Amino acid sequence: MTQEIPPLHRRSAAASRAALIDYGKFFLFAGLTVWLLTLGTHGLGYNWQWYRIPRFLFTTEGGVWAAGPLLQGLLVTLEISALSLLCTLILGLTAALFRLSDSFTARALARGYLELIRNTPLLIQIFFVYFVISPVLDISAFSSAVLALSLFEGAYAAEILRAGIVSIHRGQWEAAHSLGLSTFDTYRDVILPQAIRRVLPPLAGQGISLIKDSSLVSTIAIYDLTMQGQKIVSETFLAFEIWFTIAAIYLVMTFGLSFAVRALEHRMNGFPIRGARGIA
Amino acid sequence: MSTNDVIIEAMEITKAFPGGVVALDRFSLAIRRGEVVVIIGPSGSGKTTFLRCLNGLEEIDSGSIMINGIPLDHHRKNRLLIRQEVGMVFQSFNLFPHMTVRENINLAQIRVRKKSRADAAEATMNLLVKVGITEKADRYPHELSGGQQQRVAIARALAMNPKVMLFDEATSALDPEMIGEVLEVMRSLAAEGMTMVVVTHEMGFAREAGDRIVFMENGRIVEVGETERFFANPSEERTRAFLGQIL
Repeated sequence: MTQEIPPLHRRSAAASRAALIDYGKFFLFAGLTVWLLTLGTHGLGYNWQWYRIPRFLFTTEGGVWAAGPLLQGLLVTLEISALSLLCTLILGLTAALFRLSDSFTARALARGYLELIRNTPLLIQIFFVYFVISPVLDISAFSSAVLALSLFEGAYAAEILRAGIVSIHRGQWEAAHSLGLSTFDTYRDVILPQAIRRVLPPLAGQGISLIKDSSLVSTIAIYDLTMQGQKIVSETFLAFEIWFTIAAIYLVMTFGLSFAVRALEHRMNGFPIRGARGIA
Repeated sequence: MSTNDVIIEAMEITKAFPGGVVALDRFSLAIRRGEVVVIIGPSGSGKTTFLRCLNGLEEIDSGSIMINGIPLDHHRKNRLLIRQEVGMVFQSFNLFPHMTVRENINLAQIRVRKKSRADAAEATMNLLVKVGITEKADRYPHELSGGQQQRVAIARALAMNPKVMLFDEATSALDPEMIGEVLEVMRSLAAEGMTMVVVTHEMGFAREAGDRIVFMENGRIVEVGETERFFANPSEERTRAFLGQIL
């Protein structure tokens, strides 16, 4: 037994040395980036005025706290993203089930939707919904934004969900059917809980895309985070500071979503993905 | 036996798979209530396909199947009705991996039989006692041995109070030392008078629990007989050759 310790010990020493080298590389790279950035801005003669940024986030005049334009924009972005995410999931699930249905009409409908949405640019879709559909349906710019984003992301979510559903072993369907469960019950109780658990990581990726894509709604006069940024920059010329700040806010949002999904994944870890076939 | 006692009647059923393999070729078999029929035969003889046709997992090309007086046809309602009366145990268990043992057994009672949670829970506990795994009620399938998983699968099928149980090579995926515990449960079911159609390679079980043995090859019946007569004195040359190989 004691003979096994030296090689193990050596391996752990090697591992910590490798970790040290990794840290070294990371800080070297980070330092180099900062140095290049300062060099670049120095060369431009850019006058950094970070002290002017906080008041665009919030003001505390007379002890009263008030949200600045950037936080107001953030709120709009969050509202649009949250609503669109919900609609995306509903739309995506519907389209996925339609594509897998026995009905020719449902399959054709889903197929048409997916091809149409995935082969045209999102910006054009947003314009189309805002300028063509919204006057017909008499809906606001905000609703148009949510509709366009949901339609777009829903098509991708549908394909992710479909992949998850077809990845579930046929035996699960057969077991459910042999118990007399209807197709609806089989999806709800047997197939979807397993399928969604499997595709949670790519689904989260789609959610993150949605948050980022929501910046495009600034083109239809919605004062989201990006639009507020454009407005402030055009008034103050604080281009570097504002866009850095806005990028950081988006980063916090997407990290937040990733984190939430990872926590959800951990909670759903009651069974391993590999055991999902029911074969010992 | 009067015809009233027939619970499963398969008439001239034919099933071919894409690619031209004929799994069942004008296959007819009538099974009486309370009978244990064991189907044996070489692999690819259509045994499993026959079982899967009996609860509509495979659609037959021609012929007719009647179970407990309900025709298994294109009507979705009839299909669901038959599936509620016919339990099936698979070679690969097919337990629902995201549900505990208890939830696996509760599901169909609540969703299909519309039982209250309390009623389902009580029936589930009784079934777990019956198959001998009460201590694993709150475990997930992957935490159980193969034999335990298969016993849970049997309990899950029994939870629907089926009139017929189909066993599709229920012990073939098990380690040798776990086969006994599953056969034990199947034997006690047979002793209780459950109508069973069993596809198996376990000749010991066939001899002991089977009322009738069906020997199949190429989608057709080669020989059917009462268990004792079948093993002691098979009438077909092909049956003798097959039994000679496996016994």
